[in-house]
Amino acid sequence: MNYQGDRTTGFASPAGDNIEGTIDLMSVALDLRQPSRYPVRVEGDALLGRSIRHGDILVVDSAVSPRAGVVVVASVGDELRVCELTQRAGEWWLRSSSPQASSVQVDDDTDVAIWAVATGLVRTDV
Amino acid sequence: MRVYGLIDGNSFYCSCQRAFEPRLKHRPVVVLSNNDGCAIARTREAKALGVKMGDAWHIARKRPESQSVVWYSSNYALYADMSRRMYQVLAERLPAVEPYSIDEMFLDLSDLPGDLHERCRQIRQDVAEHAKIPTCIGWGPTKTIAKLANGLAKDHPHLDGLCDLMDPVVRQDWYRRTGIEEVWGIGRQTKQKLQDRGIETIADFVALDTKSVQQMLTVVGGRVQAELRGQSCLPLSDISATRKSIASTRTFGRLLLKWDEIREAIAHYATRAAEKLREDRLEAAHLSVLMQTNPHNGDPWYAKHAAITIEPTSDARDLIRHATELGRALWLPGYRYFKAGVILSDLRPAGSQGLMFASRDPIQSATVMAALDAVNARFGSGTLRPGSTGLKRTWSPRQSLLSARYTTRLEEIVRARSW
Repeated sequence: MNYQGDRTTGFASPAGDNIEGTIDLMSVALDLRQPSRYPVRVEGDALLGRSIRHGDILVVDSAVSPRAGVVVVASVGDELRVCELTQRAGEWWLRSSSPQASSVQVDDDTDVAIWAVATGLVRTDV
Repeated sequence: MRVYGLIDGNSFYCSCQRAFEPRLKHRPVVVLSNNDGCAIARTREAKALGVKMGDAWHIARKRPESQSVVWYSSNYALYADMSRRMYQVLAERLPAVEPYSIDEMFLDLSDLPGDLHERCRQIRQDVAEHAKIPTCIGWGPTKTIAKLANGLAKDHPHLDGLCDLMDPVVRQDWYRRTGIEEVWGIGRQTKQKLQDRGIETIADFVALDTKSVQQMLTVVGGRVQAELRGQSCLPLSDISATRKSIASTRTFGRLLLKWDEIREAIAHYATRAAEKLREDRLEAAHLSVLMQTNPHNGDPWYAKHAAITIEPTSDARDLIRHATELGRALWLPGYRYFKAGVILSDLRPAGSQGLMFASRDPIQSATVMAALDAVNARFGSGTLRPGSTGLKRTWSPRQSLLSARYTTRLEEIVRARSW
């Protein structure tokens, strides 16, 4: 049975021409079928300021162009980090949430690279 | 103008591993065959250390120069998903893409607007960024030339991963400098035959008289020559049209003696093959089973296969029954079995033939199989399976160095520390 508010049996539905279908969150922010989308599990609460918690699943997209202020997954040396991206004088920097830590410049020569940009978040324990 | 391209992932399996582990970026990485037997993919760094294709892991890992090598069991769930990503990036940008193997795809580059070299450079960059796989692209007027161009792009770093063999003059220059064994479809025997006649380079081969090539190497060799001359004989093929058989064969994790264990493995292979059938909405009307001992460990050699024609089906239960019946007849006590497999052929679209006296109710069968597939799609492959495929599965291949299935299992996705 696939009733969408249109095909009524008695009175013709006045909404017949305005059926739009349920919002599909999957196709908007979370579609992992897209070749550039990857799921990433966040470890640690350093980004609570951005409402990103330990255990959250970030959906990240490697085709999205980075912008200042976005959250990215970046490779820094041997590890992957989730952090904020900023721009200074045309250069990209990873900004630590901790005021003590200094920012790290995105630079292939020092093995700091943007892996993908966060586009959505799934929290399974609310 | 027809233009064929061939793109392939550099050390594809290793690149899939690297995509999720920055620590591997500059390290030598080697991926091992099923059962952690031997090297089947190596990064440039691993090749430089002398790791050869087919090197046995248990020997290679003990060499002092292998200390820095990071070894992996083959993680086909991961590689298939990365291949899917690569294909999708290409299919979104080009009119036709033919996945030729898990890491190689033929491309239709005909009549594209703009500069083709720039276009290919962009495609290569997009695949690297989106699917995280470094590639090389070669192109030319035929598939054989595209494949050759791809190989040149890989072997000559100054080409920056791109090789254009559209121009006959450029082509001729490479032909003179390149050995005949670099050509797709020229195997070791053919190479020997040609070398016995003094034919060393591609240019030598292309210059041969067409008739004598056909006499020497049959129609197939003639086709290779025509393709190298720029006459296209091999069009792009569809994915679905090419599937003629489905094979599910594996070497066991250890040598198996008992029929009960082998029966489990065969039932498992039949189940997997049935799954593949249903994915493509096909039924099989022919089934064969094979079983063999290890040809390399000094055991007495025993290799047998048997086949039967069956009522067309994709029902795992039917295929298991046929496969185990056939397998039982092949099994002899006293041998240590190394490998077995189930091969389905004579494939046809599901339900294409209404059988008047079908031994199983087709609707009931489809319902049961759909439920099985739905459970396994949701909870992971192999969650729900026929009891005959065993619970402990002591015969499963060894995968002691398996990485996470980063993109197909939620429990195994990439982890990143927030900073």
